[in-house]
Amino acid sequence: MSNSPIIAENLVRHFGDVHAVKGINLDIKAGEVFGFLGPNGAGKSTAVRMLTTLLRPTSGTARVAGYDVVAQADQVRRNIGVALQDAAIDPLMTGAELLALQAVLYGIPAAAVKKRSGELLERVGLTAAASRRVSTYSGGMRRRLDLALSLIHQPTVLFLDEPTTGLDPMSRLTLWEEVRRLNHEGTTVMLTTQYLEEVDQLADRIAIIDHGKIVREGKPAELKASVGAPTLIINTHIDQAEKAKAVLSTFGDLRPGAEGALGVGLRGGASQVTEVVRKLDEAGVHVQHLEINEPSLDDVFAEATGHRLEGADNAPSAGDNGDDEPKKKKRRGRK
Amino acid sequence: MTSTATLVNDVSAQRSSSAAIRQTLALAKRSTLELFRQPALVVPSIVFPLFFSFLGNSSFGKTTSLPGFPKVNSYLQFQLAGTITQGVLFGSVTGAAALATDIENGFFDRLLASPTSRLSILFGRLAGSVLFGALETAVFVLVLLPFGADVSAGVPGIIAMIISGALIALAVGALMSSVALKTGSSEAVQGTFPLLFILLFFSSAFFPRETMSGVYKTVAGLNPISHLVEGLRALSLEGFSVSATARAILVPMAIAIVALYIASRQLHARLRAN
Repeated sequence: MSNSPIIAENLVRHFGDVHAVKGINLDIKAGEVFGFLGPNGAGKSTAVRMLTTLLRPTSGTARVAGYDVVAQADQVRRNIGVALQDAAIDPLMTGAELLALQAVLYGIPAAAVKKRSGELLERVGLTAAASRRVSTYSGGMRRRLDLALSLIHQPTVLFLDEPTTGLDPMSRLTLWEEVRRLNHEGTTVMLTTQYLEEVDQLADRIAIIDHGKIVREGKPAELKASVGAPTLIINTHIDQAEKAKAVLSTFGDLRPGAEGALGVGLRGGASQVTEVVRKLDEAGVHVQHLEINEPSLDDVFAEATGHRLEGADNAPSAGDNGDDEPKKKKRRGRK
Repeated sequence: MTSTATLVNDVSAQRSSSAAIRQTLALAKRSTLELFRQPALVVPSIVFPLFFSFLGNSSFGKTTSLPGFPKVNSYLQFQLAGTITQGVLFGSVTGAAALATDIENGFFDRLLASPTSRLSILFGRLAGSVLFGALETAVFVLVLLPFGADVSAGVPGIIAMIISGALIALAVGALMSSVALKTGSSEAVQGTFPLLFILLFFSSAFFPRETMSGVYKTVAGLNPISHLVEGLRALSLEGFSVSATARAILVPMAIAIVALYIASRQLHARLRAN
């Protein structure tokens, strides 16, 4: 059996007649950032809730951190960190109080709580706001506190369910940086998102889920390459065009570029750009302008599902102004 | 930084009842802090019963001479038990509504995703209600005492009343928590408020059963609130005795045991439903 920290085999969840997750398989390796990409209602959160023991699978099995999510749910909970959608944080408590509470819930010895809380508050940049009630925090601050809460027991596996939904670009970048840092320290991260840019920036591998099924899985570059090679466009002096074409043609099919520019579809992906530039330089070609046009994950999504990722065009990028207020949602009754 | 190994070892050693107690106490602290940080919820549970108490005293003060009315120094002395019960009933709804809010906003899921004992989640929330019930009882006694609400059982009786108030809060809080766990809706919990109000008026909270007649008397006799009130009233009117104290404490304790059973079943049902 694989010793991967997150394994799911034919995981299914029905809510009455609604088949939210229709048999997904996952094998997420230690140290990976795994992106789970899909539109609202695709089954991302349901899958994560099963993997984090909050929902029982209708059928199928899953092991997280080496434990079965149903039979050994308590061991799973002790070894994972979970930051759920909407950052459910008590607004009447202060950041420091919530960290202290979380520490007790995870059985961290009283003597270690203050030190650990202090480290985490510093890590997420909330030391100055630690004694303020959460009701005074911005959306970004709440998400960072949520992340700190999920890390109180130093989990080896971290689940982040739409961690940047509703955040402004600066808060999003800060959170991405923290996810990278955690992963660099060895934490395996499973990240659900509906933002293409987020998985592109963070994920080593991704799975695209639509209508409860995984429709594509792989490394982002490979998935994008599967729908077509990226196109490298260069501008050079007209006298050097033939020499340039000779070099470029060794990397893939030549493609027309606008207004005399030369293009090539890079068979080996965008990572070949450095090699192309070096070969052009060796051939004495002076490159005046260079750009690369990648196929996007939305192209991959569209190719796999026949439709574009909902909201993909509207998702605020790191350069846009976004809404800092997390969306409000009431969760009530039984599922 | 604390080593991962140390933390994991400490965490994995945490499966004892002492861990559950520590978790319950931490959650109790949270529910208490949360309650007292919302004066808009706390103050009405104290002010309105006191208002009704003074209003009743001026409106029904002369009814104490009616045949069947127990011998009292003032209507307030008779009314004290009803005031305590009224305040604790309403205060306990607030605590249960907070549990429903936790379910609505996802904090309940945060707790479920952690290795917290499931009963600690319920008991931690109820502990806040119990503390508030005890505090409300002490406030009602201290405020009404100078106006004639004598407690014949003296200081021991007041202590017994505070314990009784806490147990009533536990009983009602557990029942209302069942509603919260069943529906996951704070509106549904608050929707029980009129029902409690009706139950209160169809009890012996404001008049002794001896002065009632017909269906009203039968309903009041069957109404568990009458028995909660009368247990407390025995301490107010009869002086300190084992039987009065037992009545004031055992009746809410019995109801609390049944209510806790129902609430824990409801918690189990909610967890199974997931």
